[in-house]
Amino acid sequence: MANKLIAFVGNPNVGKSVLFNKLTGQYSVVSNYSGTSVDVTRGTIKIDGTDYQAVDTPGVYSLMPLSEDEQVTRDLIIREKPSVIVQVCDIKNIERSLHLFFELAMFKIPMIMVLNMYDEAVHSGIKINGYQLEKILQVPVIMTAATLGYGLEKIIKKIPQAATTPFDIVYSEEKAVSCVDEVLKDKIPYSRAISVYLLCGDKGISNYIPDNLKNFIQTDCLKKININADSFNSRLFNDRNNAIKRITGNAKIVKHKNKFEFLQFIGNAALNPFIGTLLLLCILYLMYEFVGVFMAGTVVDFIQTSVFENFLNPIVVNILDYIKTPDIVKDFLTGEYGLWTVAVTYAFAIIFPIITGFFLFLGLLEDSGYLPRLSVMLDRIFSFIGLNGKAVLPMILGLGCGTMAVLSARVLETRKERMIILVLLSLAVPCSAQLGIILAMLSAISYKATIIWFCCILVSILGIGKLLAYFIKGEPNNLIIELPNIRIPSLLNIFSKIKMRLEWYLKEIVPLFVIATAFLFFIDKIHLLEKIEKLLSPVIVYFLGLPIETTSTFIMGFLRRDYGASGIYVMAQNGLLTHTQVLITAVVITLFIPCLAQSLIVIKEYGVRIAAVVFAAVTAYAVLFGGLLKFLLKFVNI
Amino acid sequence: MKTKENLDVEESLSLIWTSIQRGDTNFNKIDAVVKKGVCENVMNQLIAEGYVLKDNETIKLTAKGEEIGREITRRHRLTERLLADVLEFDKTAIDEIACDLEHNISTELADSICTLLGHPTECPHGAPIPSGKCCQKSENKIKSIVFPLSQLDPGEEVKLAYIVTTNHGYLHKLLSLGLIPGVKIILHQKFPSFIIKVNETQIAVDEEVANLIYVRK
Repeated sequence: MANKLIAFVGNPNVGKSVLFNKLTGQYSVVSNYSGTSVDVTRGTIKIDGTDYQAVDTPGVYSLMPLSEDEQVTRDLIIREKPSVIVQVCDIKNIERSLHLFFELAMFKIPMIMVLNMYDEAVHSGIKINGYQLEKILQVPVIMTAATLGYGLEKIIKKIPQAATTPFDIVYSEEKAVSCVDEVLKDKIPYSRAISVYLLCGDKGISNYIPDNLKNFIQTDCLKKININADSFNSRLFNDRNNAIKRITGNAKIVKHKNKFEFLQFIGNAALNPFIGTLLLLCILYLMYEFVGVFMAGTVVDFIQTSVFENFLNPIVVNILDYIKTPDIVKDFLTGEYGLWTVAVTYAFAIIFPIITGFFLFLGLLEDSGYLPRLSVMLDRIFSFIGLNGKAVLPMILGLGCGTMAVLSARVLETRKERMIILVLLSLAVPCSAQLGIILAMLSAISYKATIIWFCCILVSILGIGKLLAYFIKGEPNNLIIELPNIRIPSLLNIFSKIKMRLEWYLKEIVPLFVIATAFLFFIDKIHLLEKIEKLLSPVIVYFLGLPIETTSTFIMGFLRRDYGASGIYVMAQNGLLTHTQVLITAVVITLFIPCLAQSLIVIKEYGVRIAAVVFAAVTAYAVLFGGLLKFLLKFVNI
Repeated sequence: MKTKENLDVEESLSLIWTSIQRGDTNFNKIDAVVKKGVCENVMNQLIAEGYVLKDNETIKLTAKGEEIGREITRRHRLTERLLADVLEFDKTAIDEIACDLEHNISTELADSICTLLGHPTECPHGAPIPSGKCCQKSENKIKSIVFPLSQLDPGEEVKLAYIVTTNHGYLHKLLSLGLIPGVKIILHQKFPSFIIKVNETQIAVDEEVANLIYVRK
């Protein structure tokens, strides 16, 4: 079976990725599954001296696609036809894994079953008789504890013995299944599985059915059988459930222990309205200290000044001089808007360290099982603005880099949620580069100014979010989320995730910085910037009451968020702005349209029309809000 | 068995009652509906027997008429719920069956159905179900057999009865997470979200979803 594919399939949170990483070593490659945003990791496993291709599919509960993850896993199996499926299960939740097992069994691909989390199962007093299970299912069953490295070599040994289970549930709707299967048999692979999904009412599956058979099935089977998808689904679940009860009755032993478990205690405390909130605030504070102060401050300063300005930049300039580069090229690379001086410096000296810190923190939150608990704690706030707790991920990422956050909004399930998050990210969530400078600028004035700024942003998020939730069509998507056990994060897993995300940053985001800079260089050369400045200055000067010089910083803010903010910072330090003007500028620049890179990704993800509407609305809102603030600040002494 | 005349009276009163509930009180309009839906001359009979009053252009129900109209509507909508949720009839078919059954169900039986279903407040088509005596008792803390998860106290272990939802996605997701009818579940906490434990799995849902999950002790 040289060059054949081994697919790892399993429920979410069963330790599948840890296991995969340990088996394939560090040489795994993460990529988007074609046409989707879902990550699929690929690598190789050595068995008896031969390399085998291996793929880690997204964790799923079922192969009936409701989310993109499930769609990818199923499509991958049907299209790439793995020669072995390794199903990874959580022993504690064997019932759920068996549901998936029966779905996989319909494909008749040789399988082995890995019962992972042996250590956790022992703790909770659950034992599975692996030998019994092997006898019933007739596929190799292996016990592992991936995080401890226990049982991994057994997987490698057993893969060649993978077997197709003869265990097939005789469905109470067998007649219907075989009626469709008769038509598809010998014409397409996996006909039985495809027949069942078709009867389940899965619309996507018909892509795998040849057109000439579709009508035939419709008239000859579906009309005659006369069973609706809902009841077929329920019956299927019942059939599988009964089979699972019989199996676990033979092979599962549960002894409940009432032992005090420290990690479980932490997990429950994190959900407690009082302790959980304190914990949440602590974690946010730690994140601010680590990402905002240490990475964005100390590390960025070091890389920007010591590495780039004092070391790399002179080298680059010297090289360009040495090879006698024409002036225009030199200007393009190292000038005021040069590719090296702006795009590369920005991408590697400023954003790279910040998001590395961010990814490390996020990896810890994800791997420890805390992130879903954070979603639960914040669900009520998010549901006020038409989102649910799951939106916490793009929101937190937005505080890091908005460009990244817009991309991560794909994890949200409905269009309505994605629209709301798009507007909020474009309007009011400041990215780390901007946030640092704005906070430094405001804290130099007074606490009161910082609080007023914060309130303005909060009011905008809640107010606009509520309006959008009301006006954008679509049902709210309620929270249904599994809470995995709290566990000690696996460093290997976190590092492979950081590596995967940084690769993604380099591939997806850095090119945008380059395009944005080239664009900037171009409009500077044709003096477009000054024309826009002239056009905008009446609004800035008369409506917002700001000095004319601030106009250029607003435009710079579009090109690079922190540039705009730092331009204002310099003006404030030189005493060119009154305190009130600093505050108004800080609010308007936060609300103002996002940076060019983020705008490009918005256009790419949502299309030009939606992007144009959002940007126009955001700009109008920022200006009107600034005007209102100017009026109100007449009565307040900051 | 009730006479045809009796059935017509009940049917028309139920029609009139629902129209008035909707805010429709124009006599001629309702008369036309009744004529079309029940029979030609029933309105005169209703007035003669003191169920209905005609006040200029407005129609009114007497106390006696009001009671029957309300009760029949209640029985109709409860029957629909029973057919749709428990017996899993197709939604398009339930109205007709409920139309027949509503006249043959006693008030006591209606109350039993109501209690069994956890005193539902809406019929499958979204129209309100008038409350009965049993519902008022339930407000006085007498628990029904089947009730939504949101009414359960934290720490209690119950059995999942059924999930009421028109949303295919929610149903499938809850089923895949192991929330299968008949399974034992424990409610851990209700705030800020509902945390439930099924087998070894902890699941968090918000209040709206908790209202869709019906359990029994």
